[in-house]
Amino acid sequence: MGMKASNAIATFFKYFVLILVGLIMIYPLLWMISATFKDNSEIFAGIGLWIKNPTLEGYKNALNNFGGSINILQAMLNTYSYVLPKVICTVVSSCIAAYGFGRFDFPGRKILFSIMLATLFLPQVVLNVPQFLLYTKFGWVNSPFYLAIWVHCAFATETYFVYQLVQFMRNVPRDLDEAAAIDGCSSFQTLYKVIVPMLMPALVSCALFQFMWSCNDFMGPLLYVQTPAKYPMSLFVKLSMDGDTGFAWNRILALSLISILPQLIVFFCAQDQFVEGISAGAVKG
Amino acid sequence: MSKAISRRDFLKVSGAVGAAGLLAACGGSSNTGSTATSTAASSAAASVAGLSSDPVTLTMSWWGGESRHNAYQEAIKAFSAEHSTITVNPTFAAWSGWEDTMSTKFAGGVAEDVCQINWNWLYNYSKSGQTFIDLNSVSDYLDLTQWDEAKLAACNVANAQQCVPVSMTGRIFYWNKTTFDKAGISFPTTLDELMAAGKTFQEKLGDDYYPLHLGAYDRMILMVFYLESKYGKDWADPTTSTLNYDADQIAEGIDFIKSLVDGHVIMSLPTYYGSNGDNAAHQSTEWITGKLAGCFEWDSSATKYADALDEENKAGFTVGEEIKFGDYNGGFSKVSMGLAITKTCEHPAEAATLINFLLNEEKGASIMGSECGIPASKAGLAAAQAAGAVKELVAEANGKVMAFVSNQLDPLFESNDLKATGTGIYQEVFDTLDYDNASGADLVDTLLDGMESVGYSV
Repeated sequence: MGMKASNAIATFFKYFVLILVGLIMIYPLLWMISATFKDNSEIFAGIGLWIKNPTLEGYKNALNNFGGSINILQAMLNTYSYVLPKVICTVVSSCIAAYGFGRFDFPGRKILFSIMLATLFLPQVVLNVPQFLLYTKFGWVNSPFYLAIWVHCAFATETYFVYQLVQFMRNVPRDLDEAAAIDGCSSFQTLYKVIVPMLMPALVSCALFQFMWSCNDFMGPLLYVQTPAKYPMSLFVKLSMDGDTGFAWNRILALSLISILPQLIVFFCAQDQFVEGISAGAVKG
Repeated sequence: MSKAISRRDFLKVSGAVGAAGLLAACGGSSNTGSTATSTAASSAAASVAGLSSDPVTLTMSWWGGESRHNAYQEAIKAFSAEHSTITVNPTFAAWSGWEDTMSTKFAGGVAEDVCQINWNWLYNYSKSGQTFIDLNSVSDYLDLTQWDEAKLAACNVANAQQCVPVSMTGRIFYWNKTTFDKAGISFPTTLDELMAAGKTFQEKLGDDYYPLHLGAYDRMILMVFYLESKYGKDWADPTTSTLNYDADQIAEGIDFIKSLVDGHVIMSLPTYYGSNGDNAAHQSTEWITGKLAGCFEWDSSATKYADALDEENKAGFTVGEEIKFGDYNGGFSKVSMGLAITKTCEHPAEAATLINFLLNEEKGASIMGSECGIPASKAGLAAAQAAGAVKELVAEANGKVMAFVSNQLDPLFESNDLKATGTGIYQEVFDTLDYDNASGADLVDTLLDGMESVGYSV
């Protein structure tokens, strides 16, 4: 058996395993798509992809507008109208906070950093009531601009991202900062001209995570959005789920599928940036 | 290049922006805070101010599914058409997460003026009457005579009529006629017939056919039904939560459930979990295809179980009769939901008018129909029936339950620590019963300890 043949066999097995595992991974998503065309009894009867009695009811009902208060398009617009500011605020504020902790030696830095890290371990449930009371005082509950949901992100409250960026920043050599300083950059210029480009992959991953988490957030909007016309997707998907009298799952799944499409698109678009950023910019010579 | 931004400049600017944000935020707070406190004080008075002639805005909240959202909104529209000075701003969602949201709002004193509430919320969030107003103070606007004394009494907590019941609910048997026909028998109406049905199913249809299905919580409820039928007293005192049964009697109840499993009347829980995990019966293949030919469920759940059946079985869904296990008509009904006015409501008279419109008046009640269960208000029920807005299946089930049951439910029975799927004490007891083939006497202590920990006196 020649080199070529054995290579071909090896390649075949590699692909075989990869495709097999890939299929297993993607099966739930495929099932979800197929289930949008099934009725309840068929959905619970088995986990196959084959559809016996295809129905479009799920998609038709997905367009229902709940007494004219809210429809799917409005819900999507509502979602992104707070997700985008949230993502931008998070990335900018976390980056600045991380820069402070990673590059400057100021009095109380260690203590402040530990306090900030400690907030990582505070579960959201514990914060719900005090936060709600605070935002009620501010008059931010049910604000038309979703203030209670995103404004706090402008103050680097997403500790996890700050921590992640500080760690990434350690890998950016200080020599670069010094070189920038010699070239006449101020501290802030060093950040956005030298460090931010190097941190790009980390920033993109922060943005992606925050994007996904915010789109999926259910409790936040449930607490702070009270006008049905302002409901985001996460609430809209669940509006018809009445456990007592029952509901059609195909509609819920169709709604979920439609609502994750933008997320999937963003994810695939950002993937290149995600990988590219890692190889870009290193110290030479 | 423009002037470089130094670190000091940057800090100055960011500090200033931050401070401005804080100031702006605090500025908005002053008026909302003061209104909340002033209304809390005013609603403590025995009677309320009359209807205002100025425009009034009310807020209202409920949970539910699509048809309930639509019904409420349409009824509110009709209400606003009749009372042009009152605007109602609703907020609504599905049940999941709703109690967390509402409890946060109750704690913050910012809950809506009119709230659809679960019965045990009265005890969880307004035990001393701190959250909801006494509806007797607005009886000029809300006709309380439309409810039976007993139904109103169930919502009287801390000497205050804190809500009016929208509907009452209770458990009843549902049978799948298609499967019973295959087995060649009629629906059981006595315990003996039920036991016999288990045998017949096993012999004629096979080991995987059962006349009845009971999940762990259903088993607990049926056990209480059984004991109440036999001894004729409430499971626990509704006001003091003192358990009325001793260890021997409870052991007898648990053994009754065990006899159903042993007699092939109900599937053992390990077998059910094996193919369905935590899923409720209406999501199990066995129910959908008719292998589990009966269930013991809330009257309001009738349509859910009927709709889940496949084509072959759908037509056979039938509301059964309550089974009398002893000398008494055991079993309980409970308030499935109520409407309450919060103490932070600035216009209780208008809020009461709204509730009266939704539950008692012909226009409102005929739109609401049975969307929140079969109306508990007499006038409301009549109007809904006249308008043909009542689901027949649910009405039939509700009628049978209400005509039969004679016991009252205590507010702790549905405590989350007891009834929760997966972690609750009820499930622990009945899981252990099947998994370890234990006896009632072995499990009484587990149950009693669990009940004591949520506040029962045992």
